[in-house]
Amino acid sequence: MTALPSAETLTRGAPSDGTILLVEDSPDDVMLTQRALRKNNICNRVVVATDGEQAINYLLPREGRPLAPELILLDINLPKVSGLEVLRTIRGDERTRYLAVVVLTTSNEERDIVSSYNLGANSYVRKPVEFDNFLEAVRVLGLYWLLVNQTATYARTPAE
Amino acid sequence: MSSSEPSSAAGEPTWQQNGRPAAAAPTPSWVTLGLATATAVAVGVLVVGAGAETGRPSLAGLAAVGAELVILLVYGGSTIRGRRALLRGRAAAELEAQSSHNQLQKLIDNTAAVIYMKRIDNGRYLLVNREWERLFKVGREQVIDLTDHGVFPQELADQLRDNDLWTARQARTVQFEETAQTDQGPRTYVSVKFPVLDGNSEPYAVCGISTDITEWKQAEAQARRLAAELETRVRNRTAELEASNRELDAFAYTVSHDLRAPLRSLHGFSQALLDDYLEQLDETGREYLSRLQANVARMGHMIDDLLNLSRSTRVELVRRDVDLSEMAHEVAAEVAAAEPDRQVHLVVQDGLHTHADPQLLRLLLYNLISNAWKFTSRSRQPVVEVARRERHGQVLFVVQDSGAGFDMRYADKLFNAFQRLHPAAEFEGTGIGLAIVARIVHRHGGRIFAEALPDQGASFYFSLEGQMSEQPDGHTQPTLVGAT
Repeated sequence: MTALPSAETLTRGAPSDGTILLVEDSPDDVMLTQRALRKNNICNRVVVATDGEQAINYLLPREGRPLAPELILLDINLPKVSGLEVLRTIRGDERTRYLAVVVLTTSNEERDIVSSYNLGANSYVRKPVEFDNFLEAVRVLGLYWLLVNQTATYARTPAE
Repeated sequence: MSSSEPSSAAGEPTWQQNGRPAAAAPTPSWVTLGLATATAVAVGVLVVGAGAETGRPSLAGLAAVGAELVILLVYGGSTIRGRRALLRGRAAAELEAQSSHNQLQKLIDNTAAVIYMKRIDNGRYLLVNREWERLFKVGREQVIDLTDHGVFPQELADQLRDNDLWTARQARTVQFEETAQTDQGPRTYVSVKFPVLDGNSEPYAVCGISTDITEWKQAEAQARRLAAELETRVRNRTAELEASNRELDAFAYTVSHDLRAPLRSLHGFSQALLDDYLEQLDETGREYLSRLQANVARMGHMIDDLLNLSRSTRVELVRRDVDLSEMAHEVAAEVAAAEPDRQVHLVVQDGLHTHADPQLLRLLLYNLISNAWKFTSRSRQPVVEVARRERHGQVLFVVQDSGAGFDMRYADKLFNAFQRLHPAAEFEGTGIGLAIVARIVHRHGGRIFAEALPDQGASFYFSLEGQMSEQPDGHTQPTLVGAT
């Protein structure tokens, strides 16, 4: 491990509070995702943004410190600002650049998958129709991103 | 056509004067006769003069004159005789020249081409043929003293003159495309022009043979117009096709996103009922919910298969070298993982390689191998084999199983979407899988067919390379006339 650069050259991202940001416009999907998390005993706080604009405003508020959720579950097809735009904004801002973003969507179109990874998604998961399969997907996601994975909360400033 | 050689050093060819006999030119016999006469007279005059000088005509002088006269007479007689003979020879020669000239004139008069000869120095016409006369409504007698400027409008005449002079400078046969106004409207000619040389090998005239290519040009223009029209139509069609492809794409995208979402809700909430309200449901109620879920799942698969069917048509085909053996192993592992309880003996021939779109090939193999997996579900010793084999003189890939097979009478229905040869209760399926396979094979320009017997397994043979995928090389443009 290399030593971290001195504090002056770093912008401190908000410390993770274990929150899951669910960016999802369909109320049914919100309910089912929350249910799947609960069924898997994932008790982290879930914040729901029902469009891309809400998600960006939550992550990068005009006032106050930016919030750093532990995991962002991001749908692609969203009103106002699309999921891919949200992803671009997250990766474009040094305060949110290293947040874990899992694209969780209905599409399995190659172009969506490729665009997502090009914009820096950490993972791409297609929501299965069968709830038991969805349950399993959420279990694995929760286990990996909330327990196994180690996220960076420091980001280098553009000045460096 | 050969050029005429000038008949004298003066540079006046005899036959260039359009059928009129050559003007009397000094010939050797006349020259001799004239000289002889002149000499005799001069001698006589001198002798007489000499006599006159002495005051009286001397006898010697008279004798001399007499002698001279005799000489003259003798010579004259012989000369006249010679001249008669010469005249007879000359007449024959002239006759011959005339007849040869007539033949030539007939020849050039009876061709569809326009033939003419013009002097280089002043541009005056020396000769025209009948076609020329007919087209430009000027007789050969009138045209002889005319230049192009007396026959054609200024601009055309200038251009023709330029072409003639250029031909003279080139000192070889050259070809022009010329346009002239006739009573049939403007006509286009391809004119072959060559300089005509005199005895000193100096060009003194330019001869031209012009062939009417108006119809040819019109046909060419027509062909060009048709080709342009065709190109426009193809462009429009392509644009339409692209538009409909975009629509299909948008539709597929919508299907992928919007049709699956309600299914997820249906499945999820029916599961919630089963989980949370289990005690309030009796056996029948639970069965109903299970049936509901099974159908939702089935619909989900159908949507996925339809998406794959549309994808197999609309994605761009990018060929790469693919290790088909390796891909078959991967796909089979994926298929096997979905049914961990089943034991299927998989045989994949090593070293199968092909040049195909990897994404589409994987979809193809997935459908064939999962089909084989499915239809061997009732076999006691299920075997699925992927190999390369020769069939009907062609080396083909084959996915073979030891499963249920099918009646070959229905083989033609096999590759149509939604066609199923087995009841859904026996073997699940959407009836789209083989349609996807066939589409992928056809997009690669290959072929696919099946061989089967009921309860004795099925073999699906396919190739992925064919003529369709190869673009023909650039085609040659038609040329109007060959170079001279």
